Amino acid sequence: MTARSDETRLSPSAGSALVSVAMRSIRAQRRRLAYFLMMPSLVVLIGLSIFPAVVSGILSFRVHPLYNPNVARFIGWRNFEDLFDDARFWESIRLTILWAVVVVAVQMVLGFLLAVLLDRKMRGIGLLRSLIIIPVFISPIAMGLTWRFIFEPVTGLANWFVSQLGFEKYSWLSHIDTSMSTLMIVDCWQWTPFVALILLAGIQSISPEVTEAARLDRVRGVTYYLRIILPLIRPVIMVVILLRLVDSIRIFDLVFITTKGGPGSSTLLASVYDYIIFEQGHLGLMAAYGFLILILINIIVVLFLNTLYRTEKAARLEELK
Amino acid sequence: MRQSGLGRVINGLTVLAVVLWLVPVVWVALTSIKPANVINSPTPTFFSFTPTWAHYLEVFERFQFDRAIANSLIAVGVSTFIVIVLALPAAYACARMGLLSGDGWALFILSLRFMPGVVVVLPYFLMANYFDLIDSQLVLIIVYVAFGLPFAVWLLRGFLLDLPREVEEAARLDGLGWLQIIFRIILPMSRSGVAVTAIFTFVFSWNEYLFALFLTYDKATTIPIALQKTIDLYNVLWGSLSAGAVIQLLPMIVVVFLLQHHIARGLALGAVK
Repeated sequence: MTARSDETRLSPSAGSALVSVAMRSIRAQRRRLAYFLMMPSLVVLIGLSIFPAVVSGILSFRVHPLYNPNVARFIGWRNFEDLFDDARFWESIRLTILWAVVVVAVQMVLGFLLAVLLDRKMRGIGLLRSLIIIPVFISPIAMGLTWRFIFEPVTGLANWFVSQLGFEKYSWLSHIDTSMSTLMIVDCWQWTPFVALILLAGIQSISPEVTEAARLDRVRGVTYYLRIILPLIRPVIMVVILLRLVDSIRIFDLVFITTKGGPGSSTLLASVYDYIIFEQGHLGLMAAYGFLILILINIIVVLFLNTLYRTEKAARLEELK
Repeated sequence: MRQSGLGRVINGLTVLAVVLWLVPVVWVALTSIKPANVINSPTPTFFSFTPTWAHYLEVFERFQFDRAIANSLIAVGVSTFIVIVLALPAAYACARMGLLSGDGWALFILSLRFMPGVVVVLPYFLMANYFDLIDSQLVLIIVYVAFGLPFAVWLLRGFLLDLPREVEEAARLDGLGWLQIIFRIILPMSRSGVAVTAIFTFVFSWNEYLFALFLTYDKATTIPIALQKTIDLYNVLWGSLSAGAVIQLLPMIVVVFLLQHHIARGLALGAVK
């Protein structure tokens, strides 16, 4: 009896200690539960994404001819040395970086312009926004092949249009000098709407007070979009650049189905060259190159996320002041 | 809203931009119903021709589109379903349970989305070969689950962060277990988020090419592989290609119009949150 009344007469600090113990056990229980809920996904991802990547990593240190697996063996860094000695490898890296930089830059600029146009209040704007998303949903295969049809030198729509305007017929995909820029046009056609719609969502999530204040201050038109909107949607812009950059470096389907890296090696982007190495039967070499692409992408992702988080943190500190 | 002259011009510009942007899509749709001689003539014809369904018949008879569509629907449908069932609890754990800072886990999972296909296609090929799964729907389902899951968790987490916590707390007080809360309370409340996530997962696999190319060759081939056969060493059939492309795109367009508002929001969430 006395013991119980003692318990009820515990000092306030001891009471809060009890509460915090209870809280801690609840939190521990929650964490266990969280892992339980995550577990299926984690198992699948480790088994089906990370494990294959590790296998790929191991393969990259082996010679492993597709058509003669009996001679497969460990060869250390030889695959990487072979790659670094290969002029086509360096050419493919150069082209991939050129491709990613140009394509993403064009898509960001055009995408922002398109987003500004789609930001208008007018009848039917909802319909326009839905229509413009269609290119994003077209498969790279269907798109690559139909663009080949449009770029046909003799019967294609593109050359008819060019000659209608009074220009010389253009060689588009079929010449070393024009194939790369033609592919860039196709990629920009597909992905600019994607960039535009995300930026549009960013623009529309800006609080109405800001836009109202800008209106009262008579900040309008170009100044409004460059001085007010652009800085406010900076985080969204960074994320879109990251997504597009990674996908541009990884690009395979479109290039493979239209030019297969040609003519010559004018469109030999990294993934396509990697596939050609596979076709030649050098599985170890293919894995090694794949791994280098993965490292390149990871460097970019880490750099980007770092700057993104730093700016976000800075913004938060700014708010606290 | 007051419309100045300039405003009208910009409105017109907006419409023009969208219409011009879609010219290639319209052109392909028109090509799919043109007779072959019209398609191959050097001067393009826009509307003055007698429409024909010949190309649509051809893709089914000659390029086995019926089988390709069935294969795509099975592989993509089943994998999308599995992805959602797996992703919902994981996204919930990331969004609500303060798991080692949910952000860290979510970022880790998202980073797997950046895996280039060429890095893992070879191990998949070797493993599928080892387990005798080449040219089966099962192997495609496995691949599409692996590749769909990271983005699905990321996207769903964004939607779940938006839900009010009170409802869940009330449900917990009523004595519902976590799985019950997730599938009986959260799932109905985040219907549009789940729908958008399912669509993006579906589209990705529906359009996927590299893995289908490596892991199937006959029985289990999907639409992109069948489409590719209309333009290869043996055929250059622009009409059949266009018909096939329309068939592949049509379900996507229907979905876009059914869920237009949600899709833009989903795109933004996936990128922003």
